[in-house]
Amino acid sequence: MTPVKLPEDILDHGVIAGDEYLTVARDRIRETLQALKAQGYESYVFMTCVDHLATPVVERPPERFELVYQLRNMETHHELRVRVFVPEDDARVPSAHDIYAPANWDERETWDMFGIVFEGHPNLTRILMPDDWVGHPLRRDYPVGGEPVDFSEDHETWQTAPPEA
Amino acid sequence: MADTRLEQTGVQGMTITRTGERPPAGQGELLTVNFGPQHPSTHGVLRLVVDLDGEVIRGVRPVIGYLHTGIEKQMEALRWQQGVVVTDRHDYLSPPINNLAYALAVEKLMGVEVPPRAQALRVIMSELTRIASHLVWLGTSALELGAMGVFMYAFRERDKILAMNEEISGYRMHTSYIRPGGVMADATPRFLEMLEAFIRQMPSNIDEYEDLLTNNPIWIARTKGIGRLPAKDAIRLGATGPMLRGSGVNWDLRRDRPYCGYEQYDWQVAVEDGADCYARYLVRIREMRQSVRILRQALDGLPGGPVNVDDRKLLPPPREELDTSMEAVIHHFKLFTEGYSPPPGDVYVAVESGRGENGCYIVSDGTHKPRRVKFRSASFVNLQALEFMAIGHMISDFIAIIGTADTVLGDVDR
Amino acid sequence: MGVEQLVELLGDNILTTTVSKAIGWGRANSVWPFQFGLACCAIEMMHASGPTFDIARFGSEAMRASPRQADLMIVAGRVSQKMAPVLRQLYDQMPEPKWVISMGACASTGGVFNNYAILQGVDKIVPVDVYVPGCPPTPEDLLNGLMILQEKIKAQGIKPRL
Repeated sequence: MTPVKLPEDILDHGVIAGDEYLTVARDRIRETLQALKAQGYESYVFMTCVDHLATPVVERPPERFELVYQLRNMETHHELRVRVFVPEDDARVPSAHDIYAPANWDERETWDMFGIVFEGHPNLTRILMPDDWVGHPLRRDYPVGGEPVDFSEDHETWQTAPPEA
Repeated sequence: MADTRLEQTGVQGMTITRTGERPPAGQGELLTVNFGPQHPSTHGVLRLVVDLDGEVIRGVRPVIGYLHTGIEKQMEALRWQQGVVVTDRHDYLSPPINNLAYALAVEKLMGVEVPPRAQALRVIMSELTRIASHLVWLGTSALELGAMGVFMYAFRERDKILAMNEEISGYRMHTSYIRPGGVMADATPRFLEMLEAFIRQMPSNIDEYEDLLTNNPIWIARTKGIGRLPAKDAIRLGATGPMLRGSGVNWDLRRDRPYCGYEQYDWQVAVEDGADCYARYLVRIREMRQSVRILRQALDGLPGGPVNVDDRKLLPPPREELDTSMEAVIHHFKLFTEGYSPPPGDVYVAVESGRGENGCYIVSDGTHKPRRVKFRSASFVNLQALEFMAIGHMISDFIAIIGTADTVLGDVDR
Repeated sequence: MGVEQLVELLGDNILTTTVSKAIGWGRANSVWPFQFGLACCAIEMMHASGPTFDIARFGSEAMRASPRQADLMIVAGRVSQKMAPVLRQLYDQMPEPKWVISMGACASTGGVFNNYAILQGVDKIVPVDVYVPGCPPTPEDLLNGLMILQEKIKAQGIKPRL
């Protein structure tokens, strides 16, 4: 397996549970993805967002939202994860839909579920929820919803929003 | 001499072409038609807004979300072991394969390796499910193109597979059989007999399907040259599974990023060069044959031993131990009230389902419930290739193209 | 010929019944389902029309794709927020007499998914005649539900449902 030539301005690089990752700054994401694609990481696996609101781990993540892109090199069979941290009060990221075509719908879904705006996306509209839905369901302060279940303790713990840390 | 490809009709500005040929652009007014969420041929609640120029498609806009179930949010509210039940239900044609992706991800994060018998049973269930999933595809695709009899044949075999599922796990479809730490229960002797009978019978059944379709001039006319997806576009659009292998790209996760001991079995990856619906049909038929081959080897070489990892932090102790050991009682109590907690971190594991790469990305924050579970859905990405494949074809070919994409809307919408 | 000879001649070939019972019997044995498969239960519904379980012997082979031609809406699967108005519109488009079988746990009560995205029971928007529990119910469960519905239809006869 040829080692990947990492871009110079990455913030972090490591391996966790066997998966290699690197962290970049928000404004460098497009250049990083283009550089990795040129190196052979042409296969786009997925992109998603993680909401670290009120996370109990000892090491707090730098921002609330973390975007994760998973790329794969079909020649070397190597997979690489690219992380971008997005602040809560300015949840905007440049869009990658012209670098990787499948990112188009993944970015729409991330906007729909988390409320992160992808600048330059041609059609940033709701994709899974109805068009007139209010709120971003996968955020941690959005309640799970549904019907209250009588006499169930479990239901209470996941119906309420997590307490602010 | 008249151009044999185009026939001019009496109406000004309208042209009729044969299947697959693109008429000159700009002729006639565009009509927008809604292939509603309720439609017999959209394989689920998929809404397609189609711009038509006569019978020729000029634009396709899929509208999804009609089956959005909030599975990922639901899993954040359930404990790690409770989440297995929910994973069955997003790609509902391959429940054990969904379970497998989730179980492998949790095990990878916890650094746990399951015993060999569990791995072999996982391979057996995965391959049975792959055959079952391809049978649904075959039956429904053929039904939509007019071959109703194939539907009956395919579901006859699928009922045998579901009977085996019921024997080993108690459920016909959503087995929740493969769990982090191993599998639900050992294979019963009756299951092994049913599997043996199935492996003996299935090749001749696949021959029956091929007799009906492969050299059938109607089937060939309706699928050959339809829905072209060249290899570089398939990779660019992120397609996986038969959509990719039908375009000549030799990529299969079972061989290229193996899991569950697939490297020890002798089998071939089904690849075809045609890049059209017919090529994908051939790929899926060959995949069924190769699955039977893997099942034969897995059954013959089924190792003995336990089916669950012997880790009391992950799985409860056997009931007999609770009478004698205090530690067993504490483990049992902890697992059933709070559940286990993988260490903080994130991991991604992908498995090859009938549709392509079905993966599970989990993020743990060290507690007994996940921080985030994301399912990388093969159908979600494959559906984006639909527009590319459909432009320039006629409506009746569009049905064949939707069928060949083999999307499961539960997987698309989650 | 006298009446007695007529009755003797034709006696075994004449049945007497009420119009209501006759129509109820006719309707019950030719219920045409509306293909409303949404999710996993749809696959079991397909199995019910397959060779092993064969819904055709109950008169329900013709699964109509158009609501205008169907009698029975089998809501097979989970109903999401986006799909609910579509379901109601299609129910309204079905002509009377019409019935609804809520197949599976998700259609009956929301099933495994007690969350923002899934309607907690299709009976919140359409009246349901028979609930068939299961996740998914086996095809035999669905056929059992269909037989219960047939009894209900026979009992209803020609009484209009208000």
